[in-house]
Amino acid sequence: MKFFALGINHRTAPLELRETLWLSAAEVQQAVSLLKTELLSECAIVSTCNRTEVYGLLDGIATQRDQEELIQEMLAVLRKTKAVSHSIGRSHFYFLASCAATRHLFKVATGIDSMVLGDVQILSQIKEAFQIASSSNTLGPFLHRLMQSTYHVAKRARTETAIAEGAVSVSYAAVELVSKIFADVSSKSALLIGAGETGELTAKHLAARGIGHLVVTNRTRSKAEDIVAPLGGTVVEFDAFREQLELVDIVISSVTSPEHILTTHELQTVMKNRSHRPLVMIDLGVPRNVEPKAKTVENLFLYDVDSLQDVVDQNLQRRKAEIPRVNAIVIEELREFSSWLKSLEIVPTINDLRAHFELIRSEEVAKHINRFTEHDRELMELVSKRIINKLLHNATVELKNNHGVRESDKIQMLQVVRRLFGLEKSNEQDVGKR
Amino acid sequence: MMRTPVDILNSALPFLYFITIWVYAQAFFADFPPAKKLKTPLLIIALTGHLTYIVLRTILFAHPPITTIFEIMSIIAFSITATYCWIEQRTGIKNTGFFILLLPFTFQAVSSLFIQDLSEVRPVLKSNLLGLHVTSAMLGFSAFAIAAVYGTLYLMLYHNLKVGRFGIIYQRLPNLEKLENMATFANISGFGFLTLAIVIGLIWLSKTFENVSYFDPKLVGTFFVWLVYGIGLTAKGIVGLQGRKIMILSIVGFLTSFFSLTIINIYFSGFHRFF
Repeated sequence: MKFFALGINHRTAPLELRETLWLSAAEVQQAVSLLKTELLSECAIVSTCNRTEVYGLLDGIATQRDQEELIQEMLAVLRKTKAVSHSIGRSHFYFLASCAATRHLFKVATGIDSMVLGDVQILSQIKEAFQIASSSNTLGPFLHRLMQSTYHVAKRARTETAIAEGAVSVSYAAVELVSKIFADVSSKSALLIGAGETGELTAKHLAARGIGHLVVTNRTRSKAEDIVAPLGGTVVEFDAFREQLELVDIVISSVTSPEHILTTHELQTVMKNRSHRPLVMIDLGVPRNVEPKAKTVENLFLYDVDSLQDVVDQNLQRRKAEIPRVNAIVIEELREFSSWLKSLEIVPTINDLRAHFELIRSEEVAKHINRFTEHDRELMELVSKRIINKLLHNATVELKNNHGVRESDKIQMLQVVRRLFGLEKSNEQDVGKR
Repeated sequence: MMRTPVDILNSALPFLYFITIWVYAQAFFADFPPAKKLKTPLLIIALTGHLTYIVLRTILFAHPPITTIFEIMSIIAFSITATYCWIEQRTGIKNTGFFILLLPFTFQAVSSLFIQDLSEVRPVLKSNLLGLHVTSAMLGFSAFAIAAVYGTLYLMLYHNLKVGRFGIIYQRLPNLEKLENMATFANISGFGFLTLAIVIGLIWLSKTFENVSYFDPKLVGTFFVWLVYGIGLTAKGIVGLQGRKIMILSIVGFLTSFFSLTIINIYFSGFHRFF
């Protein structure tokens, strides 16, 4: 049995190549079907903007073929799917086998292999990849079990560590800061001044969190209306935005202006008029839109782009510090997966089967041994052992004789044997003991 | 027979609180996963141990432990822990335990060190009204203590947010609005209990003593505490005062009530000292 991962990611390949090999859902479906027909026993493809990876299980015959030849054939399938005529640089691809491939997939799922450390989107992309494989009938018992283990690793990493905690983009950092001041944004209102890209993104994040009311103002009114259209809210004239300062709880400002559009003195008056109700101001303008001294006004929380970048940096540092803990989870789960895998090898299964029968035999003999004479006891041992051997003979021969059987069929057969005789339980107990 | 368990618990309780605080600290500052799992069970063990101590002590000395300042300190410690435990279960916010539990630890440590065994209690203390008065006062005081801790945490987070320091305080504490809401809820509860304690106390006083000076230092002190909280809550309710100022007032209120409970009780003579 040979499981492998073949792929490119943001560390090994330039953007052009990643773009070339990015596969849509339909293309993934086409590629996995081709790979299964021509080369593999089971396969799934994860394709995102930062990586395209083939996870596959080689067939019995394919394991004996030259590795490089197989890689070239798989690359040819990818080229065919994407209709790329030129050759794809082999040097950008990594090929990982067995345990290394499983570990790689686990790491990808936890987000520690992502460009944005602790990325949470990758797990849903992996889920989608397995769903496509399942609907294309390229998911067998091996990848099915691997899929479950992968989800489990990712879930553990997110719940047991802080790998996905804290905002790692400026717009999310702004929302994070808001949520450190207000308990529930659905009862708050926000004012967006200007139609800058980051400001708009911040407003979108706030809307996604269910902001109570959104007010947008811009020198060009139509741009403000474009922002409000999908998000909901109201548009006010740019000249009238100051009136809103006493009403809203959050202000996001991203106006291009050589001077401060709001001074400390103005904001002191605003705070007085709003009975010093807390006001969060996110100043995304460069040069800054709000006079920095306004930070000193009571209950006014003013943050500029540098402050937001500080939040991002701190969170990234925190996520980096979590990598060893995530790796420890990956190794733990890898051991468990390897143990399951080992149990699906022929010889351990035969040994487990024999041990299982022998245990039943010896227990039953022990129960009734006192009813027999010394001479009969020896005979009983002998006869019972012979019965067990005869019962297991055909099963043992069939299990060993698996030439030409597809890898996934072999796994399925071994799984059935283990389930029928309750051998999975003994394997789980072994794992538990460890 | 009963003495030994009471003595053992008296010595063990400060250690039990210390271990609980240490585990809460490990969870807060080091984000240590086993500490996160262990902290609430430990808190419940400490609380159960403390309740057992109070019950055993009441049986052993045939009166509830409310007759000396050090007995009262133990009751306050228990009451703060119980209130915090309830808040933790109700809100699911477990990150403030380290700060809150420092109070019961301090109160219990002082109580365990100086507590005396009083088998004989003055008859004046054997009154149901007095029992109600003390219970209300202790609940009120515990609520003020918790509000003051939340107020302090609010100020810490407020300062961190103002200067743009995004460390552990920023990461682990609940948001400002939640802290303020919790402090306000505790202050309103505390004010209600204190009002009840004053009313019951005045009724009991007129029934028990013939010539009582209403300028007794403890009465004046308690009235002052009631006034501070009354002004604060009125300012919040009517004027809409909120944020930093109201949290400072909450801390000032607690310090005043602490002064009223300890310093006046120990250093000023008056009818309110019964021991």
